[in-house]
Amino acid sequence: MDIESPVTQVPKHLQFRVALLLAVTLVIVIGFVAYVLYARGVFEAVQRLTLVADNAEGVSVRMDVTFSGFPIGVVRRIALGEDGKARIEVDVPQREAKWLRASSVFVLERGLVGGAKIRVFTGDLKAPPLPNDAVRPVLRGDTQEEIPQLVATSRAILENLERLTGSGGALNVTLANLQTLSERMSGRHGMLGAILGTDADAAKVVGAIERANGLLASLERASSRLDTLIANTDRRVLGDAGVLEQTQATIVQANALLADLRGSLKKLDGVLTEAQGVGANAKTATADLGQLRSEIDEAVRRMSGLIEEIHRKWPFRRETEITLP
Amino acid sequence: MSAASPFVDWVVGWGRAIRFAALALATALSPSAYRAETRDVALKQIYFTAWQVLPGFLLFSTLFSFVVIEIAVNAARGYGLAAYALELVMRGLVLELIPLVTALFVALRSGAAIATEIGLMKATGELERLRAAGVDTLEREFVPRVAAAAVSVLSLTVMSCAIAMALAYWVMYGVSPHGFADFTRVVALVFGGAALAGFLLKCVAFGALVAVIPIAAGLHASVRLKSVPVVVLDGMVRLFFALGAVEVLALAVKYT
Repeated sequence: MDIESPVTQVPKHLQFRVALLLAVTLVIVIGFVAYVLYARGVFEAVQRLTLVADNAEGVSVRMDVTFSGFPIGVVRRIALGEDGKARIEVDVPQREAKWLRASSVFVLERGLVGGAKIRVFTGDLKAPPLPNDAVRPVLRGDTQEEIPQLVATSRAILENLERLTGSGGALNVTLANLQTLSERMSGRHGMLGAILGTDADAAKVVGAIERANGLLASLERASSRLDTLIANTDRRVLGDAGVLEQTQATIVQANALLADLRGSLKKLDGVLTEAQGVGANAKTATADLGQLRSEIDEAVRRMSGLIEEIHRKWPFRRETEITLP
Repeated sequence: MSAASPFVDWVVGWGRAIRFAALALATALSPSAYRAETRDVALKQIYFTAWQVLPGFLLFSTLFSFVVIEIAVNAARGYGLAAYALELVMRGLVLELIPLVTALFVALRSGAAIATEIGLMKATGELERLRAAGVDTLEREFVPRVAAAAVSVLSLTVMSCAIAMALAYWVMYGVSPHGFADFTRVVALVFGGAALAGFLLKCVAFGALVAVIPIAAGLHASVRLKSVPVVVLDGMVRLFFALGAVEVLALAVKYT
């Protein structure tokens, strides 16, 4: 076959070169296939885990299962179980199985960008390890499902905002009122005018305040006079030779007078005993009796004078009746 | 080339190509095709198609891969999707772009040469003389070329892809070995059994087409030498069209 020979020279070692080329190709292919098998965990023992979800939307085969952001396993198979729930079968290499504990929580999340993510949360790494072929529920944390609700809420808020800010809306009216208020505040009567509305009312209030000021001044004068009065009274009643001291002296005198009276009455008692003993000789005793009577009369007169004096000096009413025997 | 309608001509041309492909496949599957003479033809074809272009082609594909990887990784990082950059590179560049670019490269260099060669053999009566001498041209000349082209395209593609994978790792992680676990994870995600089988099948199909369509076109040449450029041009257009169709078919199968 020398069809090409006029154009191109067939080199020496042609077979060797072609064989080399094919050998390199074959080595690359076999090496890469082996690498892919290694990458897919064919040479590695795996722990099986089945996650049960209400909805496996977004989950795909070969999807990662992550722990603390690191992929520790892949989804091997997704199937719909007899109970109508999705069964997500996960392969976790033995060297990563230590992150799976009996207390681990599995969450299926769907973000806005990228596919769904299955995350493992293990709070207690000292908990007993998760057994092989374990079946665990998976919780769903779905951003996309929350979006319609979020949009509905936002729309309601926006509508409210629009109603507030629209022409004739509450905010506009409030702003107009605020403007009026600020205009009045900058007017002659300032803030008072703004609060009361009209200038006339403001003027009335100003007048009232002035009158109140006058009233306060006169009250102050009255109060100073009252102070003087109280000081005088104090001196009269409680001071030296005041009412209280005089009353005390009078009471001492009255005590002495009463002692005298008691002595006189004892004497009278003795006289009456004698008078009984004398009996019939009453006529002779009449002279003594007359003298005694005059003494008693005098004592009683002094007594009533004293009481009158007490009445005059002591401002409180008291029954000071003295009953003779 | 004097049919009533260009469309009929076009359809008949595809018919010839398909018929030739079927014949070539049947011959390739028969044990009688594997002889020392056919092996020599195949070795020469592999040498011209793959070995001769190897340095230049690898340089070209390395530059091409580097540019595409840089664009993909930087764009993904810009969008905050760096985690998906590697997957994008592997799915887009390694599995799709490099095989197609390799096939186009080989088609330009060897497809045109094969079509011209067969066309000239037909025009000069070489083929007729061989047939008269009792040589089965299909078995002795054409099928070895088809097989060789398929092997060449596969070989060039595999080497380019290996370089592209290494470049992707380098652009993504630098020379650090700590990206290996992440890289391995993405490889496991992208290269399933079906993906690898589809990749190899597609490369072989590209390679076979690079030889089959130019040969079928060359065989259509008349005894006049002037007809040779016409059939070569026709063959190249059909070849590019066929390569595109295979790529679209492969994508459709993979992503639907």
